[in-house]
Amino acid sequence: MELEEMKNLWEEMSIGIEKQKRITDSLIVKMTHISYRNKIIKILVPEIIGTFVCFAGAVFILIHFQKLGTWYLLTCGITSVLILFLLPVLSIQSTRKIRSINIPENNYKQSLLEYSKAKIQFVLVQKLSFYLGAILMLTILPVMGQLIAGKDFFTETRLWYWYVIGFPFFYAFSKWVFKSYIKTTAEAENILKELEN
Amino acid sequence: MQSEKEFIGIIKENEGLIYKVAKVYAYNKEDEQDLYQEIVYQLWKSFPSFRNDSKLSTWMYRVALNTSITYSAKEKKRGTHLPMHEWLVNKPDTNDLLKEERIEALYAAIKKLNTVEKGVIFLYLEGKNYEEIAGITGFTSTNVGTRLGRIREKIISQIKK
Repeated sequence: MELEEMKNLWEEMSIGIEKQKRITDSLIVKMTHISYRNKIIKILVPEIIGTFVCFAGAVFILIHFQKLGTWYLLTCGITSVLILFLLPVLSIQSTRKIRSINIPENNYKQSLLEYSKAKIQFVLVQKLSFYLGAILMLTILPVMGQLIAGKDFFTETRLWYWYVIGFPFFYAFSKWVFKSYIKTTAEAENILKELEN
Repeated sequence: MQSEKEFIGIIKENEGLIYKVAKVYAYNKEDEQDLYQEIVYQLWKSFPSFRNDSKLSTWMYRVALNTSITYSAKEKKRGTHLPMHEWLVNKPDTNDLLKEERIEALYAAIKKLNTVEKGVIFLYLEGKNYEEIAGITGFTSTNVGTRLGRIREKIISQIKK
């Protein structure tokens, strides 16, 4: 099939589509309203809840910081607070970059360039967040144990053993999670290469 | 700011365009409807800033294509959506089975192209000349021509398979 032939076929199909006007006024209004509501539910609400939970956790640790009496609990406390502040900031920044693409003004090439670069960065941030989240799980447990239950998990339980046992599972899990990230990055890199041609 | 009535009129006038873009970029029927809604939403969002100094069709193609690039099929899984029965996606009105098959084969081949190529061939099939395609995509006219040559080869080999 030659390009002209494809074009003729497409034109014939387009005429067929034009004959069937199906969309109604109310449906168009409904679509815009539902999409607007979805943006709020999908993006704003999780962002606000996530940020609030992280910041609340960090503030809770900071308020009771003096209760962390040993050097290792202090280290875990500081690490947890830093991660709890860092995680939402990283996450919001990376998604904002993708959402900040100027849809009405950009040309196709600009949008593809910006989107592909933002996607690669997004994947990097996701990976970083995954590791930070894992470190947070390790550090926040003894901190909360001390602050809520008044127990030093390091001396009173076998927490270290669980860490050692859990590590191979975490490693396998991360490999599985990162599989989809590799694909996403490769796709974005291919687009960037294609744009250079 | 232009009125809601005017916007509705534009969408009704160009629903075929939105449908075709959604069909080219979506992964399945459900995605198609979702992308369609997303394009309508993005057009509505950017409508107040639309200036008459650019052609309406250029603005619509730009918004529709840019929305399709940034559309994430994963995101759609959250939130509510208009149920399938509430609005029927247009179908090519043809009783010619052979022609319908050829159209579907063409769509299938286009869907297999990469995102860059999809945009170029779509605009070409929509009857845009090289200059117009260059204006919407940001590639040079010569580059559009070169790309179309490569795309043609790919589509032919896809259809032959």
